[in-house]
Amino acid sequence: MSGSSTSDQDRKRKRAMIVFQIVIYSWILGTFLVQLYLKSISDW
Amino acid sequence: MNTKAKKDLPLGTTETYSTMHKWLQRALFVCLTCLVIEGAFTLPGIAIWMGWPTLSLQQICSELEKVRYSDDSRECIYPYPLFGPSEGAGQTTAKDVWGIQPKPLYRRIGFRDLVRFRDERLARQAAEKKKQTEAPDDGTQAPVAAPAP
Amino acid sequence: MTTLTKSAGFGGYDAHQIASQAAQRRADYWMISGTLLMGCAVLGLIGLPLFFRGIWLQSQAAKAGLTMRPTIVTLIGYLVIIDSALNSIGWTLDLFAHHTLINRVLTTGWGAMFDGGYFWHYNELWLGGAGAPGEKAWEISLIPVLFCARMAAAIGLLQMKRWGQQWLIVTCWMGMIVWFGYNTNMTIFADVRYSHITFPVWGWWLYDIWYITPFLSLPYLHTVNREIFSD
Repeated sequence: MSGSSTSDQDRKRKRAMIVFQIVIYSWILGTFLVQLYLKSISDW
Repeated sequence: MNTKAKKDLPLGTTETYSTMHKWLQRALFVCLTCLVIEGAFTLPGIAIWMGWPTLSLQQICSELEKVRYSDDSRECIYPYPLFGPSEGAGQTTAKDVWGIQPKPLYRRIGFRDLVRFRDERLARQAAEKKKQTEAPDDGTQAPVAAPAP
Repeated sequence: MTTLTKSAGFGGYDAHQIASQAAQRRADYWMISGTLLMGCAVLGLIGLPLFFRGIWLQSQAAKAGLTMRPTIVTLIGYLVIIDSALNSIGWTLDLFAHHTLINRVLTTGWGAMFDGGYFWHYNELWLGGAGAPGEKAWEISLIPVLFCARMAAAIGLLQMKRWGQQWLIVTCWMGMIVWFGYNTNMTIFADVRYSHITFPVWGWWLYDIWYITPFLSLPYLHTVNREIFSD
């Protein structure tokens, strides 16, 4: 495994990791924005 | 090519992921530093925000309780009996808009507001006491009811 | 672990291994002391320089040609321990020490500033402590299950054990569920959490975003060459 650093599998895994990170950070950002929206429509 | 990569890169990092690992490491350093600084300053920071050292910790505890349950007669019992019921159990003074989404109505606590709340309350209580002690000297006249209709 | 070994004849490998282990242990002493202090929150500022000295010792030894643990593995391992320790302190106080003076200043004070869940009807539930919807369930499930398992896994990772890497992956995925679930709970009961507190919404985020360690660890743990961890 260590010898095939640029194998197809590695490339796929890299893309999967990037997609994964985009998804989790957008979810977190999403909940933050929802809460900011709720703040803007209430008198907190 | 492999030997070169192994020389430059940390153990376990292949060239494909070197950039990702570098950035993850930087972010981890930031998280660690922020967590530690935050952890160190939380307790002193909150104590100062809430009025220490003007107020003792027990006074802060009492003031927080008065705000929380919207009840000026609340006092922080310390030490609290070990297996006693929760201090707030059965209280009826806390203000909320009740419903599927309960909405608390306690006062917001700004920087050192608890000191101000306490001073205001003490002044109010002193004024009331003064009125009560003065009232008998003036005869039967009750100060609040004084103005004739 | 043997890729950097500079062969110096018969016995050179052993000598290199022994020197590496000694250097790693020396660096770890500094980092462990630092982590113990940082895990106590209040003493963190004393612990941080000790920890950074350990990191520095480790990188110096690696530069000198010894086989050391990669910096990022060290960081993930210790950060996971600190993250779990800090989380556990707050939640254990709330769960078991809710009527102590320090908790009624620290936790409810924090609640009044950042998260109304720790102020609203505090110490009114028969169990004591926070009474926000769902909060107690998170505490009771996460302290014994998630944080204990994560600390054990982090220790395994720091020892460069295969099970440490695998279990840290498992518990980081659990950490992901915690972030998703906890945040959704907070958003749904946002009125309880954010009404009339000092810093609604952004205060909690600024305070808690640094607990995002599992998000940063997972991509590394999934892409690191597993061969560096031993059975």
